[in-house]
Amino acid sequence: MKSIDGLKFAEMVKMGAHNLYQNADYVDSLNVFPVPDGDTGTNMNLSMTSGAKETAENAVAHLGKTAQALSKGLLMGARGNSGVILSQLFRGFGKHIENEASVNGVQFATALKYGVETAYKAVMKPVEGTILTVAKDAANAGVVQAASTEDIVTVMEAIVEESKASLKRTPDLLAVLKEVGVVDSGGQGLVYVYEGFLACLKGEALPERAIVESMDDLVNAEHHRSVQGFMNTEDIEFGYCTEFMVKFEDEKLQANPYDESNFRQALSQFGDSLLVISDEEVAKVHIHTEEPGDALNYGQKFGSLIKIKIENMREQHIEIVGESHSTQEVEKKEAVKHPYAVVTVAMGSGIAELLKSVGASAVIEGGQTMNPSTEDIVKAIEAVGAERVLILPNNKNIIMAAEQAAEVIGIEAAVVPTKTVPEGLAAILAFNPEAEVSVNAAAMKEAASFVKTGQVTHAVRDTSIDGVDIQKDDFMGISGGKIITSTPSLDDVMKTLLSSLIDKDDEIVTILYGEDVSEEEASSIVSYIEEHFDHIEVELYNGKQPLYPYIISVE
Amino acid sequence: MSVEVQNEYGKIDITNDVIAQVVGEAAIECYGIVGMASRHQIRDGLTEILRKENFARGVIVRNVGDETHIDMYVVVGYGTKISEVAYQVQSKVKYVLQKTVGMTVKSVNIFVQGVRVTNL
Repeated sequence: MKSIDGLKFAEMVKMGAHNLYQNADYVDSLNVFPVPDGDTGTNMNLSMTSGAKETAENAVAHLGKTAQALSKGLLMGARGNSGVILSQLFRGFGKHIENEASVNGVQFATALKYGVETAYKAVMKPVEGTILTVAKDAANAGVVQAASTEDIVTVMEAIVEESKASLKRTPDLLAVLKEVGVVDSGGQGLVYVYEGFLACLKGEALPERAIVESMDDLVNAEHHRSVQGFMNTEDIEFGYCTEFMVKFEDEKLQANPYDESNFRQALSQFGDSLLVISDEEVAKVHIHTEEPGDALNYGQKFGSLIKIKIENMREQHIEIVGESHSTQEVEKKEAVKHPYAVVTVAMGSGIAELLKSVGASAVIEGGQTMNPSTEDIVKAIEAVGAERVLILPNNKNIIMAAEQAAEVIGIEAAVVPTKTVPEGLAAILAFNPEAEVSVNAAAMKEAASFVKTGQVTHAVRDTSIDGVDIQKDDFMGISGGKIITSTPSLDDVMKTLLSSLIDKDDEIVTILYGEDVSEEEASSIVSYIEEHFDHIEVELYNGKQPLYPYIISVE
Repeated sequence: MSVEVQNEYGKIDITNDVIAQVVGEAAIECYGIVGMASRHQIRDGLTEILRKENFARGVIVRNVGDETHIDMYVVVGYGTKISEVAYQVQSKVKYVLQKTVGMTVKSVNIFVQGVRVTNL
């Protein structure tokens, strides 16, 4: 199959929605993140159903128009985190192909990728190991596959394959999933949608799911949710976690015909956290109960018991309280194994300390007069043993050297072109250790752009710059890189500079005072700001920088 | 103002600033939230997105008697279903406070201060 049009796509959507609907309960039971309330499947299913309904009612041969209908239906019916994300994925997808009557494999995969980009744009801190990650990996795999084949079915196969593989990897990315022992519920939901798409393209029935494998995940998620309910061991009402399988026997079934919902109903009187999965041959049961024997006896009415496991949860709970500390230890050790560094440049030991305190991995002593070379930057990156790095020059004269360092370093690196220390501080605060280097670089650059920088320094000779007459030994006030005032009085320069920098929307002024300024002098500036500007909070740090009595950050 | 927790060893005081920071962090992890907005920006209708260390400015923790109410000012991404995004934030905030601080808040009120349109 070389292309799909709007009518084919509408069929795919229908099948995707149906597959999700069939498995919504299972997706619900996996749900432990962001809030373990077990409604991901329900929400996603409602969202997708609304999308599929709108698509079915407005399906035309023109793919762009059909995809718009899906996008609209998903938006209107969006429920829950996963539903909102699903609606964004297909909003981007639909927007990308809005003028296409039909698409080939390359266009289809590219549109999915565009959907992923749209979805990522609607969140400040994308959490990896979720539906977002699964969508991203799957779309990328589709794009790669489409480059070497014209068959859209093969492309969709690659998308489904990778979405499953990515789903399996989610516990490695999101700690809570690993802790509980489940894969991400939203990601699982998306896999069902894609599986439906593929089944439709192949003209096949929807895949069955493996009963035993899924039970383990169900039990893990159920335990995680039930633990939410009690902080103290004595709060546990049903003390035995009981799991068993009933292998059906024909004689017994004649006396007691098996019906899953009746069976579940009957067992529910013995306790809570009940899970029942069954097929033609076996029923698998998980229940928390105070009378495990009664539950087992009931199961025996339908066949023989196999694989019995009973655990005393009160004993376990006492141990778990000690265990939760050890998982954190493990996480810390792993964090050291994949260093993701922010390397920056500053002059003055106080500023260096401040940068480190907000998260810089290494600070290179540099600045106005002793700019570090490309080699210095490379050495600093190697010294922290980084595998991925963001470089913040904090000075426009060092940006070039930083760019070169990023090119030759041989690891994933990006430069955030910060021109001043305040910009660097703002950028570091926006660093997200979970995000890709490129994502961080963009976010940090944006954060730096929100800051206004003021600097005060000495004039070394008589001159005139930016229309300001400057005498040797004057203090010059520099606002955002332009000299705006120059007088012999440091106080006057500061006052002029502050009133030019601060406007009514600003909230925080940070003052870094240099090695030539005493704490008393700096404190008097703080008092001045507090007296003359409403709503402004002032933070004062001893930057100990040479040459610049004051560096000011306003935001 | 702060929230007090009493146990057999003594008293734990958690300041409103800490709660605001926790709430802010929880909120920006929510899908559809592109930032926290400053409550002061109401004056001029300009919505600026706050940086991490200023989240507390977009969160107000009110203690009324022994009940705690939270007001938060957020910016959402364009094209998301705003009511749903806001609901997700409420549920996440409630959950995170219960889990990390062991406190139950009476209400979480979301004020959507802006929508950010990206070029996509």
